[in-house]
Amino acid sequence: MTILEMRDIHRSFEPGVPVLEGVDFSVDPGEVVGLLGRNGAGKTTLLHIAMGMLHQQGGSVKVFGLDPHRQPVDVKRRIGFVSENQILPGFLKVHEVIELHRSLFPSWDDHMSRELAERFHIRPKARIKTLSKGQARQVALLCALCHKPELLLLDEPAGGLDALARREFLETSIQALSDTGTTIVFSSHYLSDVERLAGRVVMLHASRVLIDNSIDELHESFSIALVPHRPQGTSGALLALPECLGVRVRSDAVHAVFRIDPDDACALITEKLGITDALCRTAGLEEMFIEIAGGER
Amino acid sequence: MLIVVDPSSGVPVFRQVMDQVRFHIASGLLRPGDELPATRALSAELGVNPMTISKAYNLLERDGVLTRRPGKPLVVAALDAATIELEKIEQMRASLAEAVRVARQLDVPSEEALKIYGELLQGEAEEEQS
Repeated sequence: MTILEMRDIHRSFEPGVPVLEGVDFSVDPGEVVGLLGRNGAGKTTLLHIAMGMLHQQGGSVKVFGLDPHRQPVDVKRRIGFVSENQILPGFLKVHEVIELHRSLFPSWDDHMSRELAERFHIRPKARIKTLSKGQARQVALLCALCHKPELLLLDEPAGGLDALARREFLETSIQALSDTGTTIVFSSHYLSDVERLAGRVVMLHASRVLIDNSIDELHESFSIALVPHRPQGTSGALLALPECLGVRVRSDAVHAVFRIDPDDACALITEKLGITDALCRTAGLEEMFIEIAGGER
Repeated sequence: MLIVVDPSSGVPVFRQVMDQVRFHIASGLLRPGDELPATRALSAELGVNPMTISKAYNLLERDGVLTRRPGKPLVVAALDAATIELEKIEQMRASLAEAVRVARQLDVPSEEALKIYGELLQGEAEEEQS
């Protein structure tokens, strides 16, 4: 069964300014999908639609085969959600927040809850408002994990955390993955975290899905070409190639991202543009993201 | 066992793990019969998706480098000395192929490239003596 299926999703908040315009993607059980895109690209909107917190204006969403808007309780019981902007009630104590979640979810695992609280060194009697940002996020993760969700939706979960807190958060998510095979969809601006955790990367750009590939494909079968400036019109000619995802004109050269490996990219540039001294190579996610997000297409 | 990964290097993490296991076998750090860390433990230590580690292990098993035993940790396969010697040569070949690529890009003539290689070997040898 497909865990999450989004078909032709449309959503805007102002008429004529679409945030999502025909977004398609689906997630299979056990997959870990990293959702990328610039600020405002629609990652949060997409996750909120999956949660049933927001209604799409066009297209269809199925979570576990159910409509999250029509069957919100059935869907939410099987989802764990952590967001950078999640607000836990500050006047409550940690154990009260945990107790609240425990009462909402029949599948709550007390053993796991105690184990995580111990690992995170969270004092049960501490008030939420006295916790650091990292500790509050750990409480949120504990609450999202202990009912053993089939799908974990994480919206910029590491936002504002220091490097060690981020790593601990990552390790806890990885453990959940090993233990229960939870499916994870997470958005993050920390691209090295995406490279560690994600098996697949979906990048939203210009209101659509621009990239939907396995992380290994992105590393091995995508490339960045550095193409010398002459002759005039090089960037336009590169953009016209269907394999080209975007170009960025820099002082040194035109940088172009291709969805083919470096050897094929160089051969293509030679064949179509007659340029023989382009440099083509594979790249990490961060570099690729910057070239695409900062360029034109 | 020493495995480190750099997820941002542009080389897939599963390949980094595979390369390092093979390197450790070639260098003798890992010997036939030695146990490998469990998928779960290694993925937690490296902070990477467990599926990445199982992919690396599965491919190494397919290549005959690792042996799976039911219910027990994976071990380095019973490779004979000749196979390990071949593995060393493979490692060298891969490393030198990268140097050849750079030489081509910079238009360094073959004789010059060979001379540099000879000088570097010589230099290393002298350093060891001193």
